Amino acid sequence: MNRDEIYAKLTEIFKENLDLEEIELTDTTTADDVEGWDSLAHISLIAAIEQEFGFRFAMKEVVNLHNVGEMVDLILQKIG
Amino acid sequence: MLFSSTTFLFLFLPIVCALYLLVRKELKDYVLLLASIFFYAWGEPRYVAVMLLTIIINYVGAILISKYKYKKTLLLLTILGDLSFLFYFKYFNFFVENVNELFGGHIDFIKVIMPIGISFYTFQAISYVVDVYREEVEPQKNIYKLALYITLFPQLVAGPIVKYHDVADQIEHRTVDFEKVTYGVKRFIVGLAKKVLLANTLGAVADKVFTQPIDQLDCVTTWLGAICYTLQIYYDFSGYSDMAIGLGSIFGFKFLENFNYPYISKSISEYWRRWHISLGSWFRDYMFLPLSRTLTLSKPYSFLCKHVGRKLTNTLITVISLVVVWFSTGFWHGAAWSFIVWGLYNGFFIFLEIITGWSRERKSLFGKFIQHLYALLVIILGFVIFRSDTMTYAWHYLLTMFGAERGETMYHLIYYVDRIEIIALIVGIVCSAPLCKRMVVDEGKSQLCVGALNIWLMALFILSAASIAASTYNPFIYFRF
Repeated sequence: MNRDEIYAKLTEIFKENLDLEEIELTDTTTADDVEGWDSLAHISLIAAIEQEFGFRFAMKEVVNLHNVGEMVDLILQKIG
Repeated sequence: MLFSSTTFLFLFLPIVCALYLLVRKELKDYVLLLASIFFYAWGEPRYVAVMLLTIIINYVGAILISKYKYKKTLLLLTILGDLSFLFYFKYFNFFVENVNELFGGHIDFIKVIMPIGISFYTFQAISYVVDVYREEVEPQKNIYKLALYITLFPQLVAGPIVKYHDVADQIEHRTVDFEKVTYGVKRFIVGLAKKVLLANTLGAVADKVFTQPIDQLDCVTTWLGAICYTLQIYYDFSGYSDMAIGLGSIFGFKFLENFNYPYISKSISEYWRRWHISLGSWFRDYMFLPLSRTLTLSKPYSFLCKHVGRKLTNTLITVISLVVVWFSTGFWHGAAWSFIVWGLYNGFFIFLEIITGWSRERKSLFGKFIQHLYALLVIILGFVIFRSDTMTYAWHYLLTMFGAERGETMYHLIYYVDRIEIIALIVGIVCSAPLCKRMVVDEGKSQLCVGALNIWLMALFILSAASIAASTYNPFIYFRF
């Protein structure tokens, strides 16, 4: 899977979990940029991502993901 | 020792600063550590030992966690050690009281006074061991450096709660320079003025109202008291944080901000991202995220997802986590039911906001206005609960505010506020919006402007110092926690 495919899947997960019609994710997108992406939504996003890609995040990673770019890097590394 | 006391301002602080700036680089940490322990012992000579014991427990705990196999057990044991001190000193009598009442028992209270700052330094200690457990930081090999992190006097007794991963590098290497020192001094003066000129003045009004028997208050007076208290607690606590951040800067530290104009929030969720930020983020990182994470990894979660749907299950997780976190947040503030109710009250409104999508960006001015009004109302009413000694008092106070009850007023409104207090009230309201934000930053200003601001800050300092010298009323609300 390459970055673009991951982005496509992530966009779907974000839309579904945050109830958004449109969302554009980039490497520098942070929780502050996305409406509704608070710590409550974060946990369900993480759970949905894990289910989609089939791996587990460590607690350290859950707490410290700063932007979407880091998230994609991590997913690539985990499934690679 | 209070920051806003003459002993601190004119004796302790100048001596410590001079020593700190004069000694060799390797000795700076030791100067600061000794100064911090002295600072603590000044007001709390008996309980220094408790703090030192906490340091030792967490020092050993973290090293064991990083070395041995049973990491989770070791982590839990260390946290249990930290919390047991907190429980003994802060909550034991509360439990005794409630057990006695519930079961008609006669368990004796213990004679104990809560050590100042224990709620704050215990949370810092927990932050350290959890960060080590999560492998975010290396365990600190040098016990003096860990002691410095836990005892550092600028934030020791009333926060901000500094997380270890935020300052780990600064504890090892930091530089002191002229710019940081001047910024620190200015920031300290702003905080001192907030505390002494605004919080103390408004606090006097709030105290007058809240110490009246409830049947002697009318609607207008109760609103006056509630608004004054809301402003007092903001200037008291954010003033303290400004002073702590300023002092930190003088010693080369950069602490994260603790307040960001909370009263301009449009929702309670936003408010908690602006109010006592270091506590909110502590609960997020060390309680909310691990708890809801554990729940989503549990078997019942996947079972429920399959049978009742993902959305509903997530809502359930949210409710459980909110209840636990806001119960704890309330309880952290003090061993009384009114604090617990106040915590859950905040959690309740956050939950309402989530399910109604309240925080969504409104386009119309009216929509924004309503959002803002709602948030302010919830905040002010919340502080009535927070300020009241008992839940019964809070309940009748709220009823009086909304005209459902009316006491026999003995005094005219003039009894509660004089001219200076009215000025403080207006200044307090105006300054709770981000108007004077750029007062301490020199960047991008002309020489003239910086000069004028410096004179203004000097004036504030002289006024504050004069006020301290003249007055005996000088409590810090957050020292109690």
